[in-house]
Amino acid sequence: MDVYLPIAEVSVNAPLLIGLGMVVGFISGLFGIGGGFLMAPVLVFMGIAPAVAVASQANHVVASSASSVFAYGKKRAVDFRMGAVLAAGGAVGSLVGVEIFRILRLLGQGDLVVSLSYLIFLGVIGGLMLIESLGALLRRRRGEPPEAFKDRRPAWLYGLPLKMKFPRSRLYISIIPPVLIGVFVGILSAVMGVGGGFVLVPAMVYLLRMPAGVVVGTSLFQIIITTSLVTILQAGRNQTVDLMLATLLLFGGVIGAQLGARASVRFRAEELRVVLAVIVLLVGLQMGLGVFVTPADPFVLAPGMGG
Amino acid sequence: MAFDLPPPPVAAASVSAALTTTKVEVSSDYHGQKIVLYGAVFNSTNRPADVVVVVRGPDQSVRIARKVQVAGLWLNSRPVVFQGAPGFYTVASSRPLNEIADFGTLRRLAIGVDHLAFNTPADGAVETRFGVKDLVVSRLGSDYLDYRRAVVRIKHAAGLYDQNERGVTYVDKGLFRAEINLPTSAPIGHYQAEIHLFQEGREVQVRQRALEVRKVGIERIIYLFAHERPWAYGFLAVFLAIASGYGASVIFRRS
Repeated sequence: MDVYLPIAEVSVNAPLLIGLGMVVGFISGLFGIGGGFLMAPVLVFMGIAPAVAVASQANHVVASSASSVFAYGKKRAVDFRMGAVLAAGGAVGSLVGVEIFRILRLLGQGDLVVSLSYLIFLGVIGGLMLIESLGALLRRRRGEPPEAFKDRRPAWLYGLPLKMKFPRSRLYISIIPPVLIGVFVGILSAVMGVGGGFVLVPAMVYLLRMPAGVVVGTSLFQIIITTSLVTILQAGRNQTVDLMLATLLLFGGVIGAQLGARASVRFRAEELRVVLAVIVLLVGLQMGLGVFVTPADPFVLAPGMGG
Repeated sequence: MAFDLPPPPVAAASVSAALTTTKVEVSSDYHGQKIVLYGAVFNSTNRPADVVVVVRGPDQSVRIARKVQVAGLWLNSRPVVFQGAPGFYTVASSRPLNEIADFGTLRRLAIGVDHLAFNTPADGAVETRFGVKDLVVSRLGSDYLDYRRAVVRIKHAAGLYDQNERGVTYVDKGLFRAEINLPTSAPIGHYQAEIHLFQEGREVQVRQRALEVRKVGIERIIYLFAHERPWAYGFLAVFLAIASGYGASVIFRRS
């Protein structure tokens, strides 16, 4: 059952899109990431123009993240205040990122920057996560006590001005680090077309040292705000949001996200992180190694500005 | 008043043709469409006549970049813009074009993918060189042809450009048909079908038929909404997303 997408102007298989939305939604709910980094490559592979794929999947990320945030919110696992601070940075970052990406596309380097960003960020984060989570898993298997939890947070978190209380996270820190993380994630999400959860989750765990219980919910809450903004900006400025595509994706996505959020309680955090690390690493390598392979056709159509 | 009519041409050839479909409606089950053109050649001369059918879609400028290897990485060179390239172009004839007319004639009439009049105005300059007027000199220099061929190759691979020297088939004496395959990716807009009649390498007649590809139904509503009220459209998209996310969480809580 194929359906013609009015903005993407291609015909695609509808059940396949719903299924894709569901799988990505499940992963999103399970790990507390938007899942955009998984979906964009698949959509482009299906023949949808990257600009439309990125803009429409942002809307899908809003839906699946919203679906799981309501579930996490009930369990008091969302630090709304921290999410708002991160999102404020994210808003600034995504505005900057949209401009950067527009210029890169005009220079014809959009594809390259996307590929390299995937390779570098997904590769580094996936690799670090894999090492850390495998280590934790092995220690548990050997029956060793978990690595002495560094509850002593780094001093720079406390030395900076503009301190704020985050009761849900049991933190009293400067808002500068979370805002900067937000800006960075915002730029990434505009350039890579992702929610940025794969950066946010590790940043909240390892840099801000937030309690593991609130990390996923807070990450999703921040992602909703950033991706909502991206959807509106993309629709308003570039008319690249395909409602038909987004609807099919989010129909599967919200269901998948619910199942994912339920499934997440059955797994240990370290095991989940190992799986996520492997997925992140594989997608990063798959996307990024393309720039090292000799192209079949030395000419490519450069998107942006007509054709 | 038979005297008012122009005198019937002495021993001339003419062509007439019609499209079986003049409006292609793009709805949610659109898969591309095959359009059939029927036509008749009236040839009272003893010289053979050739029919060439050209279908052009709306113009779409093309940006194309060449990949170059720098330190092991394949990077895009600065993209080149081709303007005036049709978004869809197909030529059908009953025998090879170069047997029907010579290079100059085909070039002047822009018949055949090699003769499409698209160029790179942003990079080119019109000059007179070696006594030849209006020569387009491109920044690309000799690479120009490579780029141009690449545009045609990429468009051909997408089913958007085609040249079929067996595309015009005669179903009966003087009665011919040609098929035009519009792929799903063919652009929306006004198309023009030109039916050229050639005799002894010269164009003796050309007829034009219009074809329109447009979105209908929900496709058209969404497309117009997205382009006419883009910000409202964006807010609606976000509202729908959050509402469906909330809806799913409520439904799942009960179950």
